[in-house]
Amino acid sequence: MKILTTVKRVTDPDMKVKIKPDQSGIITDGVEYRMNSFDEYGVEEAIRLKELHGGEVIVVSVGPAEATKEIRTALAMGADRGILVETNAELDSDAVARVLAEVVRRETPDIIVIGKQAVDSDRNQTGQLLASYLDLPQATFAYSLEVADGWAVVGREVDGGTSTKRVKLPAIITADLRLNEPRYASLPGIMKAKRKPLDTLTPADLGVDIAPKVRVLRYEAPEERAAGEIVGSVDELIDRLRNKAKVI
Amino acid sequence: MSQYLLDKRDVEFTLFEHLKIEELLKLERYSEFSREIFEMVLNEGHKFSLEKLAPSNEEADAIGARFENGQVTVPQAYHTIHKDFCESGWFAPVHNPEYGGQGLPNVIGVALIEMFVAANSSYMFIPGLSVAAAHLIEVFGTDSDKALYVERMYCGEWAGTMCLTEPQAGSALGDLTTTAVPVEGEDYYLIKGNKIFISAGDQDITDNVIHLVIARVPGDPAGSRGISLFIVPKLRVGADGTIGESNDMRVTGIEEKMGIHASPTCSLSFGDEGQCRGYLVGERCRGLQYMFQMMNEARLVTGLQGVAIGNAAFQAALAYAKERAQGPKVTDRSADAKSVAIIEHPDVRRNLMTMKAYGEAIRAMLFNTAYLSDVALYGNDEVEKTKSQDMLDLLTPICKAYATDVGFKMTELAMQVHGGYGYIKEYGIEQQMRDVKIASLYEGTNGIQALDLLGRKMRLKNGALFMTWLQDTNEFLESIKDDGVLGGLVKDVEAAKNALGEAAFSFVSTGMSDPEYPLLHATPFLRMFGLVESARLLLEQANIAKQRLAQLWETRGVESSDATAREQLVQENDAARYYENKIQTAKFFVYQILPEARAILKSIQSSDRSALEVRF
Ligand SMILES: Cc1cc2nc3c(=O)[nH]c(=O)nc-3n(C[C@H](O)[C@H](O)[C@H](O)COP(=O)(O)OP(=O)(O)OC[C@H]3O[C@@H](n4cnc5c(N)ncnc54)[C@H](O)[C@@H]3O)c2cc1C
Repeated sequence: MKILTTVKRVTDPDMKVKIKPDQSGIITDGVEYRMNSFDEYGVEEAIRLKELHGGEVIVVSVGPAEATKEIRTALAMGADRGILVETNAELDSDAVARVLAEVVRRETPDIIVIGKQAVDSDRNQTGQLLASYLDLPQATFAYSLEVADGWAVVGREVDGGTSTKRVKLPAIITADLRLNEPRYASLPGIMKAKRKPLDTLTPADLGVDIAPKVRVLRYEAPEERAAGEIVGSVDELIDRLRNKAKVI
Repeated sequence: MSQYLLDKRDVEFTLFEHLKIEELLKLERYSEFSREIFEMVLNEGHKFSLEKLAPSNEEADAIGARFENGQVTVPQAYHTIHKDFCESGWFAPVHNPEYGGQGLPNVIGVALIEMFVAANSSYMFIPGLSVAAAHLIEVFGTDSDKALYVERMYCGEWAGTMCLTEPQAGSALGDLTTTAVPVEGEDYYLIKGNKIFISAGDQDITDNVIHLVIARVPGDPAGSRGISLFIVPKLRVGADGTIGESNDMRVTGIEEKMGIHASPTCSLSFGDEGQCRGYLVGERCRGLQYMFQMMNEARLVTGLQGVAIGNAAFQAALAYAKERAQGPKVTDRSADAKSVAIIEHPDVRRNLMTMKAYGEAIRAMLFNTAYLSDVALYGNDEVEKTKSQDMLDLLTPICKAYATDVGFKMTELAMQVHGGYGYIKEYGIEQQMRDVKIASLYEGTNGIQALDLLGRKMRLKNGALFMTWLQDTNEFLESIKDDGVLGGLVKDVEAAKNALGEAAFSFVSTGMSDPEYPLLHATPFLRMFGLVESARLLLEQANIAKQRLAQLWETRGVESSDATAREQLVQENDAARYYENKIQTAKFFVYQILPEARAILKSIQSSDRSALEVRF
């Protein structure tokens, strides 16, 4: 089975985000990066599928040259080869989906398992857009995945509960955080990863125009949360919730 | 507490910018690696430490190691950790790949050990001792010993220990009474005796434990010259590695102790039935020599415990100081002055800065020494190899003793920053303080380290090691003495270095007429050396930081004299802030801590013998 998964290089979610004075973006100087954590679930699931069904895991990233690091991490976890579509441009989800769609057309994987969203922009669109560009079935927010006889049965986390969906392969599955527990890259894995193939292409090589459809006007920090207050009794609390916060 | 292990930025700076470890890639042994691999290894090691090792540290301390019905158990969490640790390849990251090690440079190894120990110091005794014992077998054992033991121990399948101490033989190992009697026609000796204080002497994780035991063959010379080294498996091992019956050795108890509760410290009895088989390592009567050849490695790891736990305590204190609000800022004169975070108070800042300066200095010291060991072992150039080995020999006792004393001191300062909350269990500081203390006692007490420095290392090659160190330090100081920013510090470091030299030379003459006098000052002398070496390293780091800052300013169009623009850059740019802080750190160390070196000289020059003359 040929399995395609993706990784995004994101700013470390534990870091405090600082906005540029002109509000045009966030300050990226000296910032730490890592693999988007939802992609870790995607990569893990891809490797598990390979371990179960045999085949090959291809890991793709669209982003700057430094994203080879995140690809190598996926290779160290157990993916087989990497593709970096290199660009320094600001990308919206639609552009990423168009690039990925072209990679999928060329690689013709049997299944595409990717993170449901990225922890930096939290947009949760790329998988859906990709499915639509490729006109393939999709199952988002997967917490379980079983593949047999050309079909995938996907347990999904949806508002207010779960649902199960059966999709014909090839399909796009987006991973939620209960799908698995991502493995750690082992030291021997890291050593092996350096010998695994990693191709670099550009959007132009793929013939994809990455011009954005979404324009960011400005970035603003959320309002500082005011300090909490300690109320004297449960009655007082209920009163506040009802009359002040108006949540009950 | 678990989220605060270390300042990863400082680890990376020390490795890549200060020590320039990419130079190692030019050596045959390390040519397969790359900076990218090193970074990935460090990232994964850090992640593993945070997510797998740290979470059980506190619980393991509470449960502790247990001894019931003759069986030692360690906390259940350690079983899982051990499995993950081995599977991830962390057990022997720097050792020989032929035997299942990962062959990474020692300097990467020490950076990893810092993380692992910071996260869970008790667990780390198992890999630490297993790998040290296996390395001894790898270097001095026979081919069949190597085939039998080394890979199994580098992979964590079997554990290992170092059995030196006996009740009457602690620092004075020559007084041991354990015997090894050769058996006609057999390849083994029969071992008989008792060892105490044996770390990781047993546990319920691995299938077998391979003890390296020092003992005397009856008739061999008394004292340390007649000591031999033996491989003594807990369970007998067949030629194909199958585990057989008991080898007539047992655990008779474990110690109740101050810290490292989850690391069993065992009393072992060998040969109660006269059936305990030990296999000689190398030649007879050379056991201590073999042990000492591995000593640099073991002492560096011990020094790292100071670096790891001291720095972890600093990180916790720093985070706490930013959260805890108490009292208004002294400059706030308003009537309704609000409490500020304690990090705003000068006295707290001094404590934090002391920890920062010490912590970064001992990290640099240990990493530097590990780097020297890489060059000494695998360098291309003979002159450079010899010089690196010399510096490694000279600095090892300082790395061990100074770094562990400072590490302990850092936990004490961290407790001070926490106030009463540091003394109670909640923030983990009291555990860190208890856990780190052992490092100043074993692997040769810090007092013994001071004797090693003064009595042996300072005299090696007729004092040439120290002369080389002095020369290198002089050259470095000379190269930055006119620097606008750092030149002012050079004068003070120079004075402290001269004081160190003066102290060293004064011992030569006073020692002739009064041999006890230098020994009275051995520990302060080691401390003095540690202080000057710290200052040298922090100044080297500041010098690099200064250059990096200049580059940053240039690319951002910031004038170095424009304080507002610099401040703005620090606010926006973590790298700028880190480098500016590096310079402050060197300043603080030189002006606030280093003067002690000159005070020590004064006490050495006092001719005061009161500690010798007092009638206790
Ligand atoms: C938790 C723990 C784990 C240990 N793990 C191991 C282990 O795995 N394997 C092992 O073999 N041992 C181990 N030890 C033993 C440890 O190495 C010894 O305790 C240590 O070497 C000191 O010996 P001692 O305790 O007998 O102290 P002593 O030798 O009695 O020393 C007491 C004091 O006298 C000083 N002193 C002694 N001789 C001199 C001298 N000639 N000149 C100046 N000062 C001197 C010392 O510096 C010290 O301050 C462990 C100990 C502990 C507590």
